[in-house]
Amino acid sequence: MISSDSEEELYTERTALMSASSSTMPSYQERDGMPGAANVRTNRSFHVFQFIHGWLILSSLLLLFLFTYIYLGEVFKTYNVAMDYPTLILIIWNFGAVGMVCIHWKGPLQLQQAYLIMISALMALVFIKYLPEWSAWVILGAISIYDLIAVLCPKGPLRMLVETAQERNEPIFPALIYSSTMVWLVTMAKRSVDTEEPLNYTCNADNYPDVEIEANHHPTEGLENVADLPPTQIQGVRQSAAGGEELEEEKGVKLGLGDFIFYSVLVGKAAAGASGDWNTTLACFIAILIGLCLTLLLLAVFKKALPALPISITFGLVFYFSTDNLVRPFMDTLAFHQFYI
Amino acid sequence: MERRFVLCSGCSPGGFALLPFLWLVNVVWFFQEAFLKPPFTEQLQIRKYVRWSAVGLLLWIAALTTWITVYQTFRPEWGAVGDYISFTIPLGIP
Repeated sequence: MISSDSEEELYTERTALMSASSSTMPSYQERDGMPGAANVRTNRSFHVFQFIHGWLILSSLLLLFLFTYIYLGEVFKTYNVAMDYPTLILIIWNFGAVGMVCIHWKGPLQLQQAYLIMISALMALVFIKYLPEWSAWVILGAISIYDLIAVLCPKGPLRMLVETAQERNEPIFPALIYSSTMVWLVTMAKRSVDTEEPLNYTCNADNYPDVEIEANHHPTEGLENVADLPPTQIQGVRQSAAGGEELEEEKGVKLGLGDFIFYSVLVGKAAAGASGDWNTTLACFIAILIGLCLTLLLLAVFKKALPALPISITFGLVFYFSTDNLVRPFMDTLAFHQFYI
Repeated sequence: MERRFVLCSGCSPGGFALLPFLWLVNVVWFFQEAFLKPPFTEQLQIRKYVRWSAVGLLLWIAALTTWITVYQTFRPEWGAVGDYISFTIPLGIP
């Protein structure tokens, strides 16, 4: 899902939901002004968020440690290289620990992006390896249709979540969103602002990892959770001038990890299953990129939450099946008969 | 600015938990801050942390390189012990 929000809106709180309840509850009460009803609602939603947060940590632990171990095992076996347990444990421990810190807490932006990409690729590898042949294609198609419906329909769950999150200014879980720029945020009324840094950073000039964007998640079970969340948001953020600091606007594109995973699944299956070798893979790759560019274009036009999956996946599927079944035999026959066009 | 200082100083002891990668991240991330920017209040301390992280990182790299060379060269000769600590054992005749 891609969304873009108007620029005035995004004063987000840092880790309001992830920090201890004592700091969270009063802040909700302050803001809402209706202690009774708001309390009940935020109590329940607080527990839901805690559960989701715990689940996210568990799943990223699983991805970063177990799947990396399996993957490295396969890689070393393929290249017929000896590897000893101590070195391996050290490598995986380093990779995983720094990954957890980087994704869930703070870290340099490029490193966080790299880690998110790597865990998306690992997740996609799991899908490719362990799903039956046709299940994967059907799932891809079904997920993009679901994405389309859920984000664009007025009663669609993802759209309602985005809007609710925007109303409440809730922070988003960092492990679910890939952000392409850094946002230096000044929160309003909750904490003092660092005024020592000059506030005129360009997009990637500063590596501050404080990308707090709104909550955008779907509290369902299983790893489909990440997959169901393919939001991309272009957000212009303006920091309020509280006490004389400068205003700053950063624009960034935020893409949900579910998008990454399904793009990777598509390309991976094209590479693994197609008989057309590189032609099919490249065709799918380019199709996905074209779809993504079109989606970003639409995002710039519409400026609201858009699903990122449908266009790319449709192009990708069309290209895959047509290349595999039409182009490849054509090229093979041409090459066989040495007929150059 | 305090936050960066807190991060930098937090990475340094964190690397003692067998995490040379954390030290690498520390050095790379704060190198610009420590050495290439005009001076500010806490720059000296950040420099100290970055230097110590770099030293620790170099030590770890030396130790790892030594161990890996030793392991790769002498693994066949160690017999049973070599196989026991191996994660993957290459097939075929070297």
